[in-house]
Amino acid sequence: MTADNTGSIPADVASAAAALRGSAAEARAGGTDLMARVREGVAGAPFVDLFRVGALRGVEWRSAGSARIGALTTVAEIAADARLRAAYPALAATAAAVATPQIRSVGTLGGNLLQRNRCPYFRSAAFGCLQKGGDSCPARAGDHLHGTVVEQGAECAAPHPSSLAMALLAYDGASVEVEGAAPRAVADLYDGADSTRDHVLEAGGLLTAVVLPVPAESESAAYRRATSRSHGEWPLVEAVARVVRTDGAVTRAAVAAGAVARTPIRLPEVEQAIIGARNPREAAAAVAGVPAMCSPLPQTGYKAPLLRDTVRDALERALA
Amino acid sequence: MDITVNGAAAQVSADPATTAAEVVRDGLGLTGTKTACNAGVCGSCTLLVDGTPAASCLLPATALEGRTVTTIEGLAADGPHPVQRAFAAHDAMQCGYCTPGFVVEAAAFVDRYRAAHGDTAPDRAEIAAAMAGHLCRCGAYPGIYAAIAAACAGEHDAGPDPDPAPPRAEAADKAAGRARYTTDIRPEGCWEAVIVRSTRAHALVESVDAGGAVHVDLLGADRTVRYAGQPLLAVAAPTAAKARAAAEQVAVDYRDLPAAVDPAAARQAGAPLVYPSRAERSTAPGHNEGAAPPARWQGNVRGPFSLGRRSATAVNRIRAAARDGDSRLVTGVFETAVQVHTPMEPHACVARWDDTGDLHIHVSTQAVVAVAEAAAKRWDLPRERVHVTAEHVGGAFGAKQWLQVETIAAVELARAAGAPVRLVFDRAAELTDAGSRPGSRTEVAMLAGADGGLAALTMDVYSDGGVAIGGMAAVLGRLMYGRAPRRLRDFDVATNRPPAAPFRGPGGAQLAWALEQSVDEMAHRLGEDPIALRRRWDGNPKRHALYDWAAALPVWGERTRGASTGRSRRGVGVSAANWIYMLDPAAAVELVVEDGMVVAETAVQDMGTGSRSVVAEAVRTELGVPRERVRVRAGSSDLVDAPTSGGSRTTASLGPAARDAAARLLAKARELAANRSGPAGSGGSGGTAGSGVLDSAALAALEGLRVRGIRRRDRRGYALPFAIPGLGGIGRGFTGAVHVMEVEVDTLLGTVRPTRCWAGISAGRMYAERPARNQCEGGVVQGIGYALYEQRRDDPLTGTVLTSNLEDYRIPGIGDTPEIEVHFHEQGWEHVPGGGVGIGEVSTIGVAAAVGNAVFDATGWRPHDLPIRPDRLLEGIGVK
Repeated sequence: MTADNTGSIPADVASAAAALRGSAAEARAGGTDLMARVREGVAGAPFVDLFRVGALRGVEWRSAGSARIGALTTVAEIAADARLRAAYPALAATAAAVATPQIRSVGTLGGNLLQRNRCPYFRSAAFGCLQKGGDSCPARAGDHLHGTVVEQGAECAAPHPSSLAMALLAYDGASVEVEGAAPRAVADLYDGADSTRDHVLEAGGLLTAVVLPVPAESESAAYRRATSRSHGEWPLVEAVARVVRTDGAVTRAAVAAGAVARTPIRLPEVEQAIIGARNPREAAAAVAGVPAMCSPLPQTGYKAPLLRDTVRDALERALA
Repeated sequence: MDITVNGAAAQVSADPATTAAEVVRDGLGLTGTKTACNAGVCGSCTLLVDGTPAASCLLPATALEGRTVTTIEGLAADGPHPVQRAFAAHDAMQCGYCTPGFVVEAAAFVDRYRAAHGDTAPDRAEIAAAMAGHLCRCGAYPGIYAAIAAACAGEHDAGPDPDPAPPRAEAADKAAGRARYTTDIRPEGCWEAVIVRSTRAHALVESVDAGGAVHVDLLGADRTVRYAGQPLLAVAAPTAAKARAAAEQVAVDYRDLPAAVDPAAARQAGAPLVYPSRAERSTAPGHNEGAAPPARWQGNVRGPFSLGRRSATAVNRIRAAARDGDSRLVTGVFETAVQVHTPMEPHACVARWDDTGDLHIHVSTQAVVAVAEAAAKRWDLPRERVHVTAEHVGGAFGAKQWLQVETIAAVELARAAGAPVRLVFDRAAELTDAGSRPGSRTEVAMLAGADGGLAALTMDVYSDGGVAIGGMAAVLGRLMYGRAPRRLRDFDVATNRPPAAPFRGPGGAQLAWALEQSVDEMAHRLGEDPIALRRRWDGNPKRHALYDWAAALPVWGERTRGASTGRSRRGVGVSAANWIYMLDPAAAVELVVEDGMVVAETAVQDMGTGSRSVVAEAVRTELGVPRERVRVRAGSSDLVDAPTSGGSRTTASLGPAARDAAARLLAKARELAANRSGPAGSGGSGGTAGSGVLDSAALAALEGLRVRGIRRRDRRGYALPFAIPGLGGIGRGFTGAVHVMEVEVDTLLGTVRPTRCWAGISAGRMYAERPARNQCEGGVVQGIGYALYEQRRDDPLTGTVLTSNLEDYRIPGIGDTPEIEVHFHEQGWEHVPGGGVGIGEVSTIGVAAAVGNAVFDATGWRPHDLPIRPDRLLEGIGVK
């Protein structure tokens, strides 16, 4: 192709949305997930490139002190933005732990929320699976060491890959904006019972921004992930904890976890149990019921205690 | 579209599926940027885009529009960046394939860090976080830490002009992205080739239709595929896209056969047979360096191959001890995972037939001479008409030792196409069908006598090498811990999975995992210090010196005894290793004096092990000339013969040959000086200044002179009077290693972090100390990968490799690297000319066992299965 072929790349939101609407094209932002799938032979052109749509990039602060983050804002920008770090420490800490520096500097918020799962059966052209129009899940019958441990009604055993979605889930009232449609809660971007896709944004839809609620005052937060290696590895389990303390005692808490279910999950039982806590040592008791919420697959039994203990670790750090 | 590359405007066209890496490498010919994983994991392809490092293998080329790109080549536009100097000075590389990516990222980090913090060194954690997106398979991380810290501290801003010669002969080229690898070769009019591989684990291929594409059939005469991923044929076309399209058009008719893909199930009676007939069994590839030893087949199980000492006595003693419940009997079953070589440069070949009928092969290999010999035989050419080149090799580790499918296909296709043909494995092929260390299951029984000595040992090792056979792990147990009775048996379990290949210390790592943990267990049973027990049992005097060194380490003396408590637990473990001393008696090195430089020539390929540096240092030391005066020309089969770089034999073969060549050159110099100065011997300029030192006038007098050095025999000869086909000569004496490993175990999240490691190596004198240390450090890093992360995972139903990218196949990163101290015990090799031998294998095989023993020390739980994943650790220590 010649240079002319780039002429059709949209430069504003309306034309990007128009290019996607009714088309089979996949939106391409940083490309870190999509291009890997192209390489593996499970995705391909056409694409609608978004890099020229400058309006989708950056953080906008609203008068009430809340942030609206454009979908093309990179993960690195979220991790590094001083005001975001102060206002939304759980989100910023999660962003800082995603992937590697080169991926964070290119990968975007929208791409992170809408990325596809990491199941090797899904990502290999050698296998069919429910996400590719097949009628069974080869991971269930095969290797699912990194599979789900919390049942949501899907046959697909691939955990949701988005760490940022998990972090956003920990903010009540956080929503995503979709061009030409009503904003929706972050949780409504996903359906844990659906084995055919990793998000339920309508085909041809354009996610434009994430809107966060007004920051909590004097919040402390922590993000933790369990991995084999020290860096650059998808989590076995990840968790984020936000706590607000009044006179030293927890009065509000939000706890979310990832890599355990078809969608990121909230853990309301743990949130309830940690209310009133004054000391990190109280986290252990608050998470004691977590394994009972799990229904492991044959190879994911380890994730039940690991979910408990990763959440505990995040809570302890948030309370420290 | 318009972009700015290294300061110059460039117009490039980009297909929507094209990546930035492809634009830079293929479009602009800037091959300093490498692609290795093509999945955004390894960072080899890192570019600066508007000054920010980005993994260009996933970056859509379209996104470069209007941006400013800096490649490794551009980084040095105004002379080397301080990071490039630092990488060369600290030997922060081995094979160098990942180096451009590391350097580009490190340059951005160092500039940023110094702007914020001034000229101070960051701590290791900060460097590790910044470099988290880069992988170095050789494990040159300690040098990378040192280089980045020193560059941040401002130690490499401006060197003397020119920069002092680095410890590695080719370091400056590698740090600058100038070093050319096979994957960088693209002759005019070059076609691209793609291998079409089996999608079935076991099938008869009834027909293959290449649909008119230029192709070569790669199936054996029996038309049977025995694993998913096996090459069926290769197609070639004038562009990569057309070759891929042609490959997709190939139609294959399979008749499926029952497959055995699980090693445990394959052992059962009635399992489908991988090789149903004697004729088929004879086609089974070997995964050891020599020929597979003879053994019987029973179903899919082959063996035993036994090599014991008083086997019946050993078995009887162990049976009696088991019957009596003897507490001095240690038994266990240990398993190791399939570990994939996955060098950063994949298997690659560029083949060309010239107008005179000569065959030119660029290939990423550890065996230019062997490949040339095999090619001459295969294509019926005189040996001198085959020209094999491997100027730089991006890692090999045992997986690139022969004339292999990439070369066979490229050469055949080049002939069919009438054009040069280039064939490069993608990472999925590299992780599937390019070599792996077989998995293993080892049953051990070890008995100590009343005197505390080793009374009996039995080991049965079942090697899991897929369709390949030839496991020799147990039999290596004959070479350690004295002469006590022992029965050592090796078995192969064939499955319909990709073939294993020799991997750095074949058999040794599997043996050590089981043996060294059993010895550790015995020490605990006997209430004895694990080093002291080894010292008592082990008769090797060179290893005795290492035990004394290890026992005196503060970390050993100060370790706490008894199980510790709390979330984070520290442990220290030790292991010993033994390896065979191999050499190639036919190795040679030539020296020629050109433009006042001494140029050493030898065919040897340097896969990052430092072979060039060994030759250069041997010559330089012998001649007494500065590093700048010696150059090495290597990596070509047109030069004098050098060994295959396997079996740790390169240094032991070439070092002495290089010394011999230097001695001959000195003799010539003396002769010339004597002639010139006449019988009176009045001396003057142009002589050898003192003993064995050539000054520049003496070099000038030697201009154009050529001498050949040979590998002189060891004093008292060799262990075997003849060379073994595929193995070469075996010399007297064993190399040894003792590793002391400190780990921190997080008992909450199940992670094991190696924090410090001491590597004691006894292989005699080191010719090139820093590259040698680097190789030993890399041995520790690879051993940690083996211990904690690396595991090829296959679909249990189809045998298809699932870990076919570098995200799912997990090799250690810089943050997983402990602080490593290497100690060389240099005595004991005085019978070898030059006084030193190879270290590649002995430096890695015991590492995983040291980790295992350290985990036991920390937690009281002994890991039996590799890798020690978090889920296994948590289960092992009883977390529910």
